Amino acid sequence: MAPEKRQVRPGRWRRVALFLAVMGPGLITASVDNDAGGITTYSLAGAHFGTKLLWTMGPITVALIVVQEMSARLGVVTGKGLADLIRENFGVRTTFWVSLALVLANLANTIAEFAGVAASLQIFQVPRWVSVPLVAVGVWALVLKGSNRAVEKVFLVASLLYVAYPISLFLAKPDWGEVALAAVTPTFQTDGAYVAMLIGMVGTTIAPWMQFYQQAAVVEKRIDVDELRYTRIDVVLGCMVTNVVAFSIVMACAATLHKQGITIQTADQAALALAPLAGKYASWLFAFGLFNASLFAAAILPLSTAYFVTESAGWESGLDRKWGEAKQFYWLFTGIVAVGAGVVLIPHLPLIRIMLLSQIVNGMLLPFVLIYMLRLANDEKLMGVHRNGRWFNLVAWTTAVVMIGLTAYLVATGIRDLVTT
Amino acid sequence: MERPSGKFRFLFFTDLVGKKVVSSDGESLGRLADLVAVSGEPYPPVESLLVRSGKTMSQVSWSSVASVNGNIQLVPGATVGPAPSAPVADRLHLGQEILDRQIVDIEGAKLVRVNDLHFLETKGQMRIAHVDVGLRGLVRRMGWQRPVDGVVSLLRPKARYLNADTFLSWKLVQPIESAPGRVRIEATKKALASLHPADLAEIMEDLDRHQREVLFQRLDVETAADALEETSTALATELLEAVPPEKAADILEEMAPDEAADALSELPGHTRDELLQAMEKPEAAEVAELLEYHPRSAGGLMTPDLVELPPTATVAEAFAEVRRRAEELPLVYEIFLVEGGLLQGMVTLKDLIVAADPSLPLSSLLREIPASVGADADVREVARAASKYNLLSVPVVDRAGSLMGMVTVDDILAEVVGGA
Repeated sequence: MAPEKRQVRPGRWRRVALFLAVMGPGLITASVDNDAGGITTYSLAGAHFGTKLLWTMGPITVALIVVQEMSARLGVVTGKGLADLIRENFGVRTTFWVSLALVLANLANTIAEFAGVAASLQIFQVPRWVSVPLVAVGVWALVLKGSNRAVEKVFLVASLLYVAYPISLFLAKPDWGEVALAAVTPTFQTDGAYVAMLIGMVGTTIAPWMQFYQQAAVVEKRIDVDELRYTRIDVVLGCMVTNVVAFSIVMACAATLHKQGITIQTADQAALALAPLAGKYASWLFAFGLFNASLFAAAILPLSTAYFVTESAGWESGLDRKWGEAKQFYWLFTGIVAVGAGVVLIPHLPLIRIMLLSQIVNGMLLPFVLIYMLRLANDEKLMGVHRNGRWFNLVAWTTAVVMIGLTAYLVATGIRDLVTT
Repeated sequence: MERPSGKFRFLFFTDLVGKKVVSSDGESLGRLADLVAVSGEPYPPVESLLVRSGKTMSQVSWSSVASVNGNIQLVPGATVGPAPSAPVADRLHLGQEILDRQIVDIEGAKLVRVNDLHFLETKGQMRIAHVDVGLRGLVRRMGWQRPVDGVVSLLRPKARYLNADTFLSWKLVQPIESAPGRVRIEATKKALASLHPADLAEIMEDLDRHQREVLFQRLDVETAADALEETSTALATELLEAVPPEKAADILEEMAPDEAADALSELPGHTRDELLQAMEKPEAAEVAELLEYHPRSAGGLMTPDLVELPPTATVAEAFAEVRRRAEELPLVYEIFLVEGGLLQGMVTLKDLIVAADPSLPLSSLLREIPASVGADADVREVARAASKYNLLSVPVVDRAGSLMGMVTVDDILAEVVGGA
């Protein structure tokens, strides 16, 4: 019978249609990846270290794809969120510590998002004690009103702005031979600032919230095991696009700021990387992109944190519950928004430094999540034939071990270097 | 301490798991890894212990336990066998299948997560009494109960945390993932059937794909049909695909034709045809007709199940007809008067109740139909008609003016408000 044959091997258009139906979680998660902390970290890496950190982008991209594919596969095969899986397979104690790590990392990220709001609107002469409370209340109301999907679309369109970085890079006419060489030549420095930046780069690209967020999105979309390969395309495509942008940010900053010997202290300076494209409007372009990224991430990070924690603890959660029914859920969400915004209001806080620090926290906490993900993805009872292959394990374990090693190194050398640079 | 007979005490799973299991001559066999209970009974007794020593797992009967204190002491001559490798029907591995899992709280009609299990030990038997779903259970699992209890009772001696144990009686919960035998499946069916279909639908939305399919397969046909009417179309489609075609067809027959058509409309073509084939002829024909229409049009929303009578019928006959069909019709308000296939008018239930004489013909009470719609009318048009003329059901007519069905206000609301 014809329809059965089609089922076994769908025609080209059917395959395209299937891909379009399942795509989203990977691309959206990857786009949010370039949030305030991300843009700042990449900018700082390029401005302060030139092309010296460029070589990490390749390995980081591979690691990102492996980790994100693992999270998508866990979601598709088990139909459960990551927090649920950790609770059901490792019990309350592990769940508690992982949740604590996640809450801390996401709190740090939320602080970074509000720092991004403050920094971007400062370019338009809006003082932060006006912009941050307004945006915080706005984000809080927007999420509770539940029009998240519409916001998601606006954000995705606006994130096309990142194309500005690759264009700007081209216009800056870097020595492409030198770029290519730097991209494949590993260098390593033993000073704390370099190691911290390295942790931050990994932490911002492979942030712990991404695995939870993407897996939840895959589950919510009810993607079936048959559709796994289309979801894989979605994930890989998202990671590649995001990291091309990240690469361009590092390189554009290296070609402009680093060459002129400018170290970034304020968002205005970071915007100079876009000068080859936008000239005197560079700071506006930068501010707009940063604001967009910060706003969206400031909305979804607290919300998704509240979801993960309450679901794994077995408390009622969800925006369709009333406040009295799901107290923990709403208080957690409100608390993270309030603390995130509140910290940024502390006078004379160095916004750029805060954004970088948050990403270093991300990187330090990543191994916690990664190790449990690896154990789940290798569980034969849970994953059957879809459990991890050897290469996946190698890449993911290497990532975890390297991050633990770097973190230990950073702690050992003391955070002194970090504070003084 | 000897195990007291005639006395009883309560124990938590958390207190037991990890305890050393020691034979009568003082030799350690390993640590308690899990407990196996017989699930057929209302309060399942623990049947055996699973003991882990290194990588090997062995099984000991609970009747071989002499005492439970610092260690779990076995009686002389206790037999230690290998642990079963595959799940056995009506046996629950409590740590693996119940602890930390989501289960259905029948009384509260929602999903809860099990933080701990509460046992009643008496007369040499240990039975599951409650599941702990509260914060204190979480604290106990962390091993922090003593310090946290101490701090709380110091600060707020009357705190609800200390007194209000959030225990659910085992009788009132339903585990989802485990291998049940016949007895338990029957009990589960009955328990789930007692839930309101809307609650059951919400529980299924909250479960993961595997669990909700297991749960759905355990519902009887009627409960399944009621629940599917309340779920989103996407979920209904998914669940229909999860059961064997014959059962899916039975469920579809039970469902209101408009809801059944909605659920079928999202299925792939050949699956839909297969299910329609498997359904009884009259129901299949009704549903197939509805499938022709766009789901958000009057045709897609309408149900052909309505009360229609000739204008010559009497009030008493109308009452009899309403009573006869009350079982299959969820909502009766308007009674449509049809002559020669053409819609003439209607009477409302209120008209019938206040009618002076049961022998009056309906034609004497006849109301003009204030508004009717065509099968291709958009849902908003239907909603406008219902709202303008205060109709609980809007009749759908074809070009010639003959009655095809009606759209009831609950379906209009669901479409306009959004969601199921």
